[in-house]
Amino acid sequence: MRTIKVTVNGESHQAEVPDHRTLLDFLRQDLELMGTKSGCETGDCGACTVLLNGKAVNSCLVLAAEADGKEVLTVEGLAYPNRELHPLQEAFVEHGAIQCGYCTSGMLLSAKALLDEIPRPTEEEVKEALAGNLCRCTGYYSIIKAVQAAAEKMNR
Amino acid sequence: MKKAYVTVGKSVTRLDARDKVRGVATYIVDMKFSGMLHGKVLYSKFPHARIVKIDTSRAKRLPGVKAVITGEDMPFLHGEALYDTPFLAVGKVRYMGEAVAAVAAVDEETAEEALDLIEVEYEELPAVFNPGDALKQGAPILHEKLGEYYHPPVITPVPGTNICNHTKIRKGDIEKGFKEADHIFEDTFTTQMTQHGTIEPHAAICMVTPDGKLTLWGNNDSPYRARREIAVALKIPLHRVRLVGAPYIGGNFGGKGGLKAEAIAIALAWNYRGRPIKIVNTREEEFTSTVVRHPTVITLKTGVKKDGTIVARQTTCLWDTGAYAEKGPTVSRMGGASSAGVYNIPHVSIDSYCVYTNNQISGALRGYSGPQTAWAYESQMDMIAERLGLDPVQMRLKCAYDNGSVHAGGQVLSDVTLKTCLNKVVEAMKWDKPSPLTPYRGRGVAFGERFIKTPFASSAFLKINEDGTVDLISSTSEVGQGGETTMCQIAAEELGVPLASVSKASPDTAYTPFDESTTSSRSTFHMGNAIRMAARDAKEQILQMAATQMKVPVKKLTIVDGNVQVVGKPETATPLGQVMRRRYGASGGVLGRGFYFPDGLAPEGEYFTFNCIFWMYCAQGAEVEVDPRTGKVTVLKMVAAHDVGTAINPKSCIEQIAGGVSFGIGFTFYEDLIRENGKTMNPSFLSYKMPTTMDMPPLDPYLVEPHCEQGPFGAKAVGEPSSVPTAPAIANAIANAIGVRITDLPITPDKILAALKNKT
Amino acid sequence: MVRKLRKFNYSRPGTVAEVVSLLKDYQEKASLLAGGTDLLVFMKLGGKNPKHVIDMKGITVLDHLSWTPADGLRIGCLTTLQSILRHPLIREHFPMLEQAAKALGHPQIRSRATVAGNICTASPSGDCAPSLLALDARVTVASPAGERTIPVREIFAGPFKTILAPTDVVTEIQVPALPPHSAGSYRWQPKITAVDETLVGVAAVVTLSDGGKTIKDVRIGLGSVAPTPMRAPRAEEFLRGKQITDSLFDEAAGIAAGESQPRTRAEYRREITRVLVEQALKEAVDRASRNGGNR
Repeated sequence: MRTIKVTVNGESHQAEVPDHRTLLDFLRQDLELMGTKSGCETGDCGACTVLLNGKAVNSCLVLAAEADGKEVLTVEGLAYPNRELHPLQEAFVEHGAIQCGYCTSGMLLSAKALLDEIPRPTEEEVKEALAGNLCRCTGYYSIIKAVQAAAEKMNR
Repeated sequence: MKKAYVTVGKSVTRLDARDKVRGVATYIVDMKFSGMLHGKVLYSKFPHARIVKIDTSRAKRLPGVKAVITGEDMPFLHGEALYDTPFLAVGKVRYMGEAVAAVAAVDEETAEEALDLIEVEYEELPAVFNPGDALKQGAPILHEKLGEYYHPPVITPVPGTNICNHTKIRKGDIEKGFKEADHIFEDTFTTQMTQHGTIEPHAAICMVTPDGKLTLWGNNDSPYRARREIAVALKIPLHRVRLVGAPYIGGNFGGKGGLKAEAIAIALAWNYRGRPIKIVNTREEEFTSTVVRHPTVITLKTGVKKDGTIVARQTTCLWDTGAYAEKGPTVSRMGGASSAGVYNIPHVSIDSYCVYTNNQISGALRGYSGPQTAWAYESQMDMIAERLGLDPVQMRLKCAYDNGSVHAGGQVLSDVTLKTCLNKVVEAMKWDKPSPLTPYRGRGVAFGERFIKTPFASSAFLKINEDGTVDLISSTSEVGQGGETTMCQIAAEELGVPLASVSKASPDTAYTPFDESTTSSRSTFHMGNAIRMAARDAKEQILQMAATQMKVPVKKLTIVDGNVQVVGKPETATPLGQVMRRRYGASGGVLGRGFYFPDGLAPEGEYFTFNCIFWMYCAQGAEVEVDPRTGKVTVLKMVAAHDVGTAINPKSCIEQIAGGVSFGIGFTFYEDLIRENGKTMNPSFLSYKMPTTMDMPPLDPYLVEPHCEQGPFGAKAVGEPSSVPTAPAIANAIANAIGVRITDLPITPDKILAALKNKT
Repeated sequence: MVRKLRKFNYSRPGTVAEVVSLLKDYQEKASLLAGGTDLLVFMKLGGKNPKHVIDMKGITVLDHLSWTPADGLRIGCLTTLQSILRHPLIREHFPMLEQAAKALGHPQIRSRATVAGNICTASPSGDCAPSLLALDARVTVASPAGERTIPVREIFAGPFKTILAPTDVVTEIQVPALPPHSAGSYRWQPKITAVDETLVGVAAVVTLSDGGKTIKDVRIGLGSVAPTPMRAPRAEEFLRGKQITDSLFDEAAGIAAGESQPRTRAEYRREITRVLVEQALKEAVDRASRNGGNR
């Protein structure tokens, strides 16, 4: 067991966690932030994507201990503090970029990491940024459109 | 005539979208209860073996372990069409994904640790891994008691063999047909094993009270069907079993019916009562122990006239159904019925065998046999056209079903839109123009068709609240398809209230009325009709009240935008809530009821027939480019035209087509669950490859929207057929591009390159 | 079967000396954690079950990337693949390494996985190895016996096996500066989908002479076509000193394909090796000819 200090969605948490706990389990079990999903536990599906110090990571392949002293952003923290939806969330809603919703949190965070780095991505850059997020429902078309629409809106 | 609707026909925003983007939509994996235990499963080490001994004593002694069970603790059989499946292996194992023992413990780690302490002694038995071998004389028999399993009469297992179901259809006189033919072509097509790959795994939480009342929370697509399966298996009455659907299901595609994670949760909870026990599948378990799409071997012997008229077709279909029946009997039955294609053929002979093997269990996967049969008949269609020197589009238009055509299963078809769909596709592809495609580029088309498992009922309640808002009570599951939104649109339209006034919660067999299943592309049609009936019933009650209140004959009243008003007099508009309150004060008092059952399709009491209340038709086209050095195929464009009837939510329909095509792309090129002697070699997303953002071709989707007389507001359906024609359309385009015909899926660059070499 | 991580003891030392001292105590009971994208997967699959996990990321000085004409490129063992992408020094001096980084995994993996980790995992299909082989890179290894330098080509002992001892720590990768009129290229084809492990990866580094008309020197690294990443010595020898002609690269590619030893999908892999070797050579020569080379 060890004590870690992690800032999650702007809120600082101090917690006792076993050494072998993953960041994903820490978020879901300890903090009960259920928006981050588990899909494979081996970094292949992207459902558990969160931002760790601004970078998109598979939280199933990060130890909670590794996040000590770092900042984590999950889907629950994506909406602006006034609880309005983030432009990416708005665009996903408007463009119907959601079916079952299980990949959605991870998709949104991968997209956020992209737009933070490249505010005006090309279609190819959007596809590359989302290449680690599997979606079985949509064929990705509306998701790619939504990310482009959000980028446009945010640059306005 | 198409009527103008207020809510129906509009691409309204999904009602679940905002919760889903906020990450607050709840799935079964997110649910937990006080005192909840976690279950884990020990699987078989062999594809076929007798269980000599299981020693669970060490596992039971591990601190934190509450229960360790084996098949002996659960002496029941379950199944969807044939009750052949133990909850855990009893006496012998029939595939490597079979549960041998299960543990319930205070946490997952402890349960996993306990698995290591269970000792199983096996005596290996000869195994069989493909349906051809399984049919041979002297093949190892998987189910010695096949003749004793409970099943509906229409399912026809052959005791003493590995034939789980044999569907035999004869139309005309096949020998006469072949005699009339100018040419007879015989070709064999095969398809591989694929899996649903929903990102959300199967999961379930079960609690059984000491007195035997069972509650199951889960992501089962069809709570009522699962409840029936559980009650029949456990020999308890239906009302002692309650299924509660999680608010949202993370993808289905036919994979989340029956008892998967549920079976283990039930078995543990049945033996360790009073505490909820949760099972969440790992990704590996998803691939090895749930359900997959049948690998098939389909042989078509087709007699044609010189002008392309098809006079006779004999089909032999082998469905590798794996170790247990699951939906295999019905999938292979429907697949058999469709295996002769969508063409007018006077003489047809069909034999479709659903065959047990020591592989994982096969069942329904988006298309319910359609992708496999279309792969065969639509590939052969182009092969025949080429051999006869005919244009594949013209030959299809000449032979395809029309209104009045008779399906192999006997039904006289109406509302047939195949040609409309194909014309839409070829128009979009500019087929009439000489191909603008350069060397190594080609184009192809294919038809698709689907009918649904039938006849089955759906029912719905509409509760009108005291403020005039509406709770739609229906057992349709939101699996991602947009059912929640579609159903609310139908309710809002029929009742005359704004969509924002209607809510629909997830199914719970204790509260939401009967619905057979959220499968088979049946919900919009069946549940939609039930909801319309419920809305009409509610509306009648409201208007009766209003008639008394407003002193106007009922006939002159209607509901518009949530207000009761005299027809044509908007100034009389009275909010629904006001009408309710004036009659009952603070008490909500109106419940509309709807029950829809497609009568007249089958003798009373029979189900799984070939006659269906509606059929779905579609066509897709592909343009491809082949790299002759690497064999890699680039799909330049897909065009898809689908007859959905009246689209209740056009955007939602387009999304279904897009998702369906992505399944089709995966089936065509990438997905292949590989086994060696029964062991699954690639049970992860690292090695079982589904299309990514980088793999999807441009897509032009089109909705063909004829009004379907029996459908709710003219609607049909879209989910199942959306991936049916994709693979043959692409294969036909590849053949057009490089003169190479691939007949075994998936189409890999290795196969293309080898075929190109053989050609030169 | 993928399981929850089994219990272990986690530590995050702040210096290499501390790491070495811990390794001396724990020996093979310890695993080093850099990006974790391989290690945690192996642990969940049960292939590794360390009692101690030593996180290198406390040693922040090991996350560095620098270039000087004298030392060439130095990549700290915590440098991620993500930081290789779009890095101006990489783009200027070794664009082939950006190609290799792009070939590996997807964004979430690249933001954690390190170049050094990719070498130490010793996957036959690792994307960094072919380029580092072709670039004659070396790694610095710290151990209880002190520091030493090993050429990358000597590291691989078999699939997922290196010659490194349980007490060895790779701290840095060094890529020597290329001579004038030199450049490299990495070409790859994924196994099945676009986002996939590498079916064949080919790196080529060429040095031109004679005004760009002759191959003065060449090194070819092949990935995923043998139990370990490998060079293609016969193809290299064939090319060395040859004048560039239309058919030269195709011939060389044929030789290289013959040198590959693929096990699964063997025939197809050989074909693709041939295609990619030709592509990589052409791209490397193209880059070397442009602006006097050195790319």
